[in-house]
Amino acid sequence: MRTLLHDERLRPWLLLAPALTVVGVLAGGAIVQAAVRSVSPVRGSGETGLTLSAYRSLLADPELPRSLLLTLYLATTSTLLAVVLGIAAALALRQVAARSRWLTTVFQLPLPIPHVVGAVAVLALLGQSGLFSRIAGSAGLIDDAASFPALVFDPLAIGILAEYTWKEVPFVGIVALALLRSSRVTEQEAAARSLGAGPWQRLRHVTLPLVLPGVLSVAVIVFAFSFGAFEVPLLLGASFPETLPVMAFRRHTDISLAARPEALALSLLMAAVAVACVALAMRVARRTIREEGR
Amino acid sequence: MRRTWLAAIAVVAVACGAADAPTPDVPDPADWDAVVERARGQTVNLHMWGGSNEINAFVDDHYGPRLAEEYDITLNRVPLADTADAVATVLSELDADQTVGGAVDLIWINGENFATMDDADALLRGWAPLLPNAELVDWDDPAIAFDAGRPVDGAESPWGSAQFQFVYDADRHDLDELPRSYAELADWIVANPGRFTYPSPPAFHGTRFVKQWFYELSGGPDRWLDGFDEAAYDEASAELWDLLDDLEPYLWREGQTYPNDIADLDRLFANGEVDLTFTQLPAGIDGQIQAGVFPETARPYVFDTGGIGDTHYLAIPVNANAPAAAMVLANLALEPDLQIAKLDPANGWGDGIVIEPDRIDDDARSALQAVEDSLGETAVDQAELAAAQLPETVGAYTDAIDRDWDRFIRQGQPRE
Repeated sequence: MRTLLHDERLRPWLLLAPALTVVGVLAGGAIVQAAVRSVSPVRGSGETGLTLSAYRSLLADPELPRSLLLTLYLATTSTLLAVVLGIAAALALRQVAARSRWLTTVFQLPLPIPHVVGAVAVLALLGQSGLFSRIAGSAGLIDDAASFPALVFDPLAIGILAEYTWKEVPFVGIVALALLRSSRVTEQEAAARSLGAGPWQRLRHVTLPLVLPGVLSVAVIVFAFSFGAFEVPLLLGASFPETLPVMAFRRHTDISLAARPEALALSLLMAAVAVACVALAMRVARRTIREEGR
Repeated sequence: MRRTWLAAIAVVAVACGAADAPTPDVPDPADWDAVVERARGQTVNLHMWGGSNEINAFVDDHYGPRLAEEYDITLNRVPLADTADAVATVLSELDADQTVGGAVDLIWINGENFATMDDADALLRGWAPLLPNAELVDWDDPAIAFDAGRPVDGAESPWGSAQFQFVYDADRHDLDELPRSYAELADWIVANPGRFTYPSPPAFHGTRFVKQWFYELSGGPDRWLDGFDEAAYDEASAELWDLLDDLEPYLWREGQTYPNDIADLDRLFANGEVDLTFTQLPAGIDGQIQAGVFPETARPYVFDTGGIGDTHYLAIPVNANAPAAAMVLANLALEPDLQIAKLDPANGWGDGIVIEPDRIDDDARSALQAVEDSLGETAVDQAELAAAQLPETVGAYTDAIDRDWDRFIRQGQPRE
């Protein structure tokens, strides 16, 4: 064992082994099992061997394209909002945080709060009989609850976006803030300043190119999460179209056993789309950052 | 070393395959004294949905002490997030050839979960009508003898009952302004745009609401109680989907979205966004008013054309560890004083009784009368409620209604 650990080629693999095993067995095993069960006939269906009927009936579902569009729209919009607002907040916090440490703490407050609690809070604030609607009502701005704009269960998914933004902006912001405070960034900013770069030039040509690659990996996590999470869309989403994860959840909890392979097929489809989106976005973003950095 | 392991595994595998699975020794409830004797000192594992603190407390406080004092039985209530969890436990035990000593002795069950276990031959049959207190039950009543269209076959002992009712706010409406049938409801929805909606099927209350509309349009429930006549269903349901589609613009949020479940609808009702919601509790909504779910002035009522009622049951898996103690508990649950205590909202539940008032003694009958008299305005008159009860369909129509509502109403797919 001692000798093994001293082997320079083997050591990284040995150190990675526990993590790789967990990921491989849990995630990989689940994907393999989902793939197998998505092509296995349902008990009592009379079919034998492997079948693609779950994929066929899934692709024939007219809700699928609309659901895919909605899910992509939600994931992309919430990621962009989180990145832009998160970096802006981090820049602002860096300016004031030295003086007021509590502001950074307040900013981080949403992080330990579960999404479900956030969803209920959004409902209580933005719903048509929520707090804002009541304030608008007592101020004489609206006649009744129904004339308050529909911000939850709405086609544009504003309620869901609000919840994701509330939760993800601090997430991106905290990472961006840590990057901004690193000596690499502060030293290069100081160097740019001494060379006569103005605040806007420093931000555009020094700070952002140094921070963006780190933020990009956080953005990938945010995108993958908002693409695949079902609880907030389930609580705040409109009845139709549903997001892909909600669609998969409903099929998985359907009384009929025949819906189970479709739920698994849909989950695999979601995983494929998410991976493709992330790969594409990473490529585009890396190239843009490289060009910007020049 | 490896060879030793392989050999050990092989031995175990052969032993498992070769040994005959032991046959469970089930007591005969016809010889009740022997059952009670066998049950002495046993622990009964009661697996039940645990989402209501009031119901959990009722079971612990009313059954636990009686089992301990009168029968020397320990009650172990196992709370479940979903009854299907207990079904899965039993079915996987049976898959693994565990034919005795199972984890589940008694399940609170009905509907689809009963159908699943019945199909898998996973429940003891024939015992329920032989319990001493079974003579208080009207086994000829289809609402007892059939669980969602499926013969109970003595595999389930009734425990309580529920029935669909509407809830309105007496502060906002007089009862005589409100619809008393689905035909009137359709007019009322058009006259009061945005003031009504219902939970989206397959949410329980939503399915039941739509199914009752289907009953009224198709001339009543009688045609839909057994078998599955697809042609008749398609013909009869076409009018329903047309109507629901036409009414959508007059629903809350123009029918572009629906509440997920009854909790969502209750919230809309309590916040004054809609004028009606639903309840299933025969003894009324006093508990929900006390809990602040409904305003003080909320009142239940039933349509003149009725509402679906159903029974919930207790069932014993074939591999139960303590079937004798399970039978004692199922019998205890039918004791008149405990049935009446369960009905009384003061004890937290308000669940309907499954015993016949004319089969219990005078003292019990006057106790029942006292509870019914105390229900007041927060419950529908019990005789009126009983008269309005409609039977539940077989599961196939439930599935068809859920599927078609999803396609034609939620998704708005065109129909040929």
